[in-house]
Amino acid sequence: MRLEDELADAMEAHVADVRATPSMGAAIRRRHRAHRTRFRTAGAALVTAAVAGAVPVYLAVNAGPAAAPGPAAGPTADARATQLQEVAVPKVVGMPVKEAVAVMERAGLGATVEGDGGAGGRVAAQDPAAGQRVPAGHGVVLTSAAIPDPSLNPAPTDGPSTGDAAPKIPDDLGDLGDGRKFGGVEFGYLPEGLKWGEGSVKDGFGATSYSTWWVEAGLDPGMYSVQAVVYRGGAATQVAKRMKGYREQGARPVGIDGKQVYIVRAGEAADRIEESGTPTAVWTERRGLAVEVMLSPDYATKLTEDGAEREMRKIIEGLAPTE
Amino acid sequence: MTEEDEAAFDEFLAARSTALLRTAILVCGASQHDAEDLVQHALEKVYRHWSRIRHDNPESYARRVVVNAAISASRRRRVIQEITFARPPDTPAGSPDVELRDTLLTELRRLPARMRAVLVLRYWEDLSENETAALMGCSAGTVKSQAARGLARIRERMGTREGALG
Repeated sequence: MRLEDELADAMEAHVADVRATPSMGAAIRRRHRAHRTRFRTAGAALVTAAVAGAVPVYLAVNAGPAAAPGPAAGPTADARATQLQEVAVPKVVGMPVKEAVAVMERAGLGATVEGDGGAGGRVAAQDPAAGQRVPAGHGVVLTSAAIPDPSLNPAPTDGPSTGDAAPKIPDDLGDLGDGRKFGGVEFGYLPEGLKWGEGSVKDGFGATSYSTWWVEAGLDPGMYSVQAVVYRGGAATQVAKRMKGYREQGARPVGIDGKQVYIVRAGEAADRIEESGTPTAVWTERRGLAVEVMLSPDYATKLTEDGAEREMRKIIEGLAPTE
Repeated sequence: MTEEDEAAFDEFLAARSTALLRTAILVCGASQHDAEDLVQHALEKVYRHWSRIRHDNPESYARRVVVNAAISASRRRRVIQEITFARPPDTPAGSPDVELRDTLLTELRRLPARMRAVLVLRYWEDLSENETAALMGCSAGTVKSQAARGLARIRERMGTREGALG
């Protein structure tokens, strides 16, 4: 027998029993959403936090599979979901994104917006589809398409980088320089190697809120390594309720630099703690001013658990109000 | 992504994910668990561009992404691997067939990542030299020489078995 045939046999035998799990589709979609820059709304968190309080803690803490939307959620997830209060997903395709998010909030669902149109676009698709029954607090992904503006270039350029490879990044706050100073706070410390993500969102997380993010070299547009949200006024009140929800799920604040900080892994619906969620720190800096910092799951993995915690602490310690 | 895109992606996964996972395990020499993580990460890229690439041979795109990811993952793991595989096995395996296969796989894992990828694609996936070259972004001549050198190194290291293998 020739060596190449022996080798082929050995390789075949080595992987013959390997099967991809049927949940791979759900895992890929979850990963996809987790790495997108988030445009969550604080309003959604308010509604869903109230629901989370009514759910047995073990469900809330282990909500990973149940909170994973999409057709590939397995039978286990379904079985768990039936223990939660269920709601029908409203139809929002065609609506302006802001209106659609409000509709989801009223239905007791979370909303994550992705796609080229950002918070100012129109909903081109929704997942799960309208009419599907999902547990209350479930995250619905809205794909936002930019509303065409006839005053803009009537003949779209046909460059090679059009399409979903180059999503439009919102820049509501304009040029922030290094991105460290916005919304009335300044980030004195950021991990080495990060630069400003050259985008920002105003009121994407409730009124009044400001958000921007920083990226490692080589990330695709729309992805983040560290994202920060500053909540003022009503938005800050709603975040305080989200923190209360974390407490009800068993989380306890850590004292850092005189601040009481909740460091949790936030799930698809930001008010839920999930084992595989996004590493998130959130705290009230002072009355009417709250801050949230998120590390993308990819970036956190790269830092390792200890490294991620260390960097998170330094970011928190380095933050100061500027007014 | 339309609902039809989503459904097509699920079909694609049902048809191809096991094969891609197997390729990843062989190319990066990792455990199934690590390889799954790698394949998910690579397929997230496929998913991100799905509506654009689904009609344009998504399989070869996916395979290219997975193989490249496996090669770079394997480079990162290399130091640890050298230590692990340099140790002699604790107990001799029972069946000579199993023993031969284990030895072959051990030697395969000790090759440089790209050379190993060439052997996996050429002899396990049964791709032609041209197909392998297209997938790896190199010339057919490079594929030919890498395959020959890979086989020669395995043959050399298994020198004690001379005669058993042609």
